[in-house]
Amino acid sequence: MSWVIVLAVVVGVVLLIAMYAASIYNQLVSLKNRFANAFSQVEVQLKRRYDLIPNLVETAKGYMAHERDTFEAVVNARNAAMSGLQQASANPGDAAAMQALSGAEQGLSGALGRLFALAEAYPDLKANQNMMQLSEEITSTENKVSFARQAYNDAVTAYNTYRQSFPPVIFAGMFGHSTDAELLRFDSEAIAEAPKVSFN
Amino acid sequence: MSTNFFEQQATAKKSTTWLLVMFCLATVAIVVTVTVVVAIAVSATPGDPNAPAAYGEAQSPWPLAILAGVGTLLLILGGSFFKILALRAGGGASVAESLGGVRLYPNTTDLSERRLLNVVEEMSIASGVPVPPVFLLKDEAGINAFAAGYSPSDAVLGITRGALEQLTRDELQGVLAHEFSHILNGDMRIGIRVMGVLYGILLMGFVGQLIFRTVAYGGRSRSNEKGGNNAVMVILLIGVALIVLGFVGTFLGNLIKAAISRQRERLADASGVQFTRNPAGLAGALKRIGAAQAGSQLQAPNAAQASHILFAEGVWKNMSGLWSSHPPLAERIRALDPSWDGVYPAAGSNARLIASELSAAGALPRSSHKTSRAFSHTSPLAAGFAEGSTSRSAANEVPLPVVDRAIEHVGKPTQAHVDYASGLWPLLPDSVISAVREPYAARAVVLALLLNRDATIRTQQFHALSGSIERDVVRLITQLAPHIDALDTRVRLPLVDLALPALTSLSPPQYRQFITAFRTLAAADGQLDLFEWVLSQIVIRHLQPHYDKAHPPSSGRLRLERLSEPCAVVLSAIAHAGNSDEKAQHAFAAAAAVLPHVSLTLLARPAAGLPQLRQALNAIAQATSHAQGRLVDACAASISADGHATIEEVELLRGISDLLGCPMPPLLVDQG
Repeated sequence: MSWVIVLAVVVGVVLLIAMYAASIYNQLVSLKNRFANAFSQVEVQLKRRYDLIPNLVETAKGYMAHERDTFEAVVNARNAAMSGLQQASANPGDAAAMQALSGAEQGLSGALGRLFALAEAYPDLKANQNMMQLSEEITSTENKVSFARQAYNDAVTAYNTYRQSFPPVIFAGMFGHSTDAELLRFDSEAIAEAPKVSFN
Repeated sequence: MSTNFFEQQATAKKSTTWLLVMFCLATVAIVVTVTVVVAIAVSATPGDPNAPAAYGEAQSPWPLAILAGVGTLLLILGGSFFKILALRAGGGASVAESLGGVRLYPNTTDLSERRLLNVVEEMSIASGVPVPPVFLLKDEAGINAFAAGYSPSDAVLGITRGALEQLTRDELQGVLAHEFSHILNGDMRIGIRVMGVLYGILLMGFVGQLIFRTVAYGGRSRSNEKGGNNAVMVILLIGVALIVLGFVGTFLGNLIKAAISRQRERLADASGVQFTRNPAGLAGALKRIGAAQAGSQLQAPNAAQASHILFAEGVWKNMSGLWSSHPPLAERIRALDPSWDGVYPAAGSNARLIASELSAAGALPRSSHKTSRAFSHTSPLAAGFAEGSTSRSAANEVPLPVVDRAIEHVGKPTQAHVDYASGLWPLLPDSVISAVREPYAARAVVLALLLNRDATIRTQQFHALSGSIERDVVRLITQLAPHIDALDTRVRLPLVDLALPALTSLSPPQYRQFITAFRTLAAADGQLDLFEWVLSQIVIRHLQPHYDKAHPPSSGRLRLERLSEPCAVVLSAIAHAGNSDEKAQHAFAAAAAVLPHVSLTLLARPAAGLPQLRQALNAIAQATSHAQGRLVDACAASISADGHATIEEVELLRGISDLLGCPMPPLLVDQG
């Protein structure tokens, strides 16, 4: 009879472990869904930003006819960023896709920055109502992008932290959650992270 | 069929109670059976020859049998509670996610998604519940939908891509009205308990298998021990008993689940039609399901578990109607459309209508549906809006009979309320609408609602705010403030409801930052007026369940008679709001007359302040939903005691009603 009790205890323990593992599995899935959903908000905002750029280029073209290369660079960078976004939204959290997107975004920001810098030399363009509205809209969209990106990064961090914590780390690999999701960083943080200072 | 919200809640509660009683009986039966089986098995097997003689013959079978019984009991109850807690903690969102749902954001640019969200927003405002987050089941071609969650605050709606693409606006509205009825009728709570209860019994069967396999396998290696053999037999028997009982239990449990589900589905169909007054919409959607190739089936592996929350049968079944979670499709259609000839429309026959609706939605994002509605109501209220701008005093009054009967409409919105909701859009400037759908800017809208009208206090508020939220948001609030100040009182509460889907998509750190800013702003005000305070409480009440695992209390069991003090606080606060002391006395007396059996005395103004009110409302959460309804009724009597009711007072009533968990539709001028 004593080993009956042992058996009951063993069954009980196995059962508890199974239930615990199931709850870990559910938690992993739901955290993963959460950051994927957070990414779709980043996507909404980035798309809006990409939709504004052709208008911006059209408006500016009328004033800056001689800056064709700059316009071309902006349009190309925008298209590259669009395709980067498409791939990223297919598998949010994937390291390669996220890095590609953030690279493309940095390219776009750089190209836009050059365009705005050149626009400084065209007072008529700066005074254009349409242009003022567009640049205001681009700025406010950028705020929204960074807000959505913050939410995404928070969700990714929550997932990664849970995945690496003990005891979930024992089960995470088994349940197909073996790699960390990738944060989405754009230029400003990249600079803050790796300051290149040389003292020569 | 009952027409009263509170009776409906009571019925829902009764059928859960009935379910729990059945479950308890089943558990007792199972436990007794296990105990008896074990006792018989132990006494039938000869004693252990190797054991000392005294131990062998006189051994009673009961200790072991009782041990097995207690183990089974713990197993079933533990499993059920575990599952119910897990389902409650995850809220509706986790159910939607487990079915493969993708969150739709209010700032979507996709036209068909926008059309869906417009319908959802209108119906929420019409029924006075927060706009729920909507999830799209992207990979599902069938036509189906569901509502999940524990309470209206953490409810979510889910809809398949098939439904989004193949239903016209009226049909979508019919489907969503059905789902809103589930939310308002309290069906989701039943659903969660059903899932939990079944899980406990299922788990028992699983353990039976576990025991059987372990022993059958491990027993062979032990067969050289003679005494062990008998014990192995006993254990095997327990295992088999658990398997058989688990099987029978699940079988019967599924029968009960299906019976309850069918009853709630019929009710949701009926109340959905009451809601839209357009049986053709719902019937049309059901006919589309019959016509569509994929029907209403779901591919998601978890679909079977969630079958009872779906709009229509989600899993293909080759069984008799006893196991169906929904009444037969044809029967549901006939109930709505008795003249139906039994022929389903050709799939895709409404494609042109949908296309035209979508292009109209693109051109006129807000009032598009007005043109596409099969029939249009000219609501007397829409006229009221127009009047409001010219002769404010007339439009600012709500007829007393309307206020007195307000309680009858709680949880029972009608098409007139939906028309009212769509009539509210023109009162909202575009900048506010686009802001309220944006997670980034919705914060600014809600914060701007808490700004004091007094310029000095407002400066203090901005000063306090600048430390707790980004500068750009403060700038945005400054931009929005003039628009928000100019808003009609009637759109303030709906605006809060509209902001919720955007606010619930904040990440937890963003949410905490927002709530800090929110509290800072309210504190800097120093003297929030009652309506602003109620708005702020509504925001917190509906946001918290998404972040803090705090549940808005579901109604309890106390009667008002035992809550006379909190009732006095609530009624005093309302009586004092906007009244002189003398009039407050009168208003309070009118309220007390509605609750003759509760001993109520008017409290002085400071004793019915906001902190006291908060505590009082928490205490009243313990009351039955019927009791809460009576209190709302007393509040209504209080505001109409002076012979007239203003829109401000009526909106306050709706706000308090929301805080008490009674979603009150807007009060319509012609409804008295």
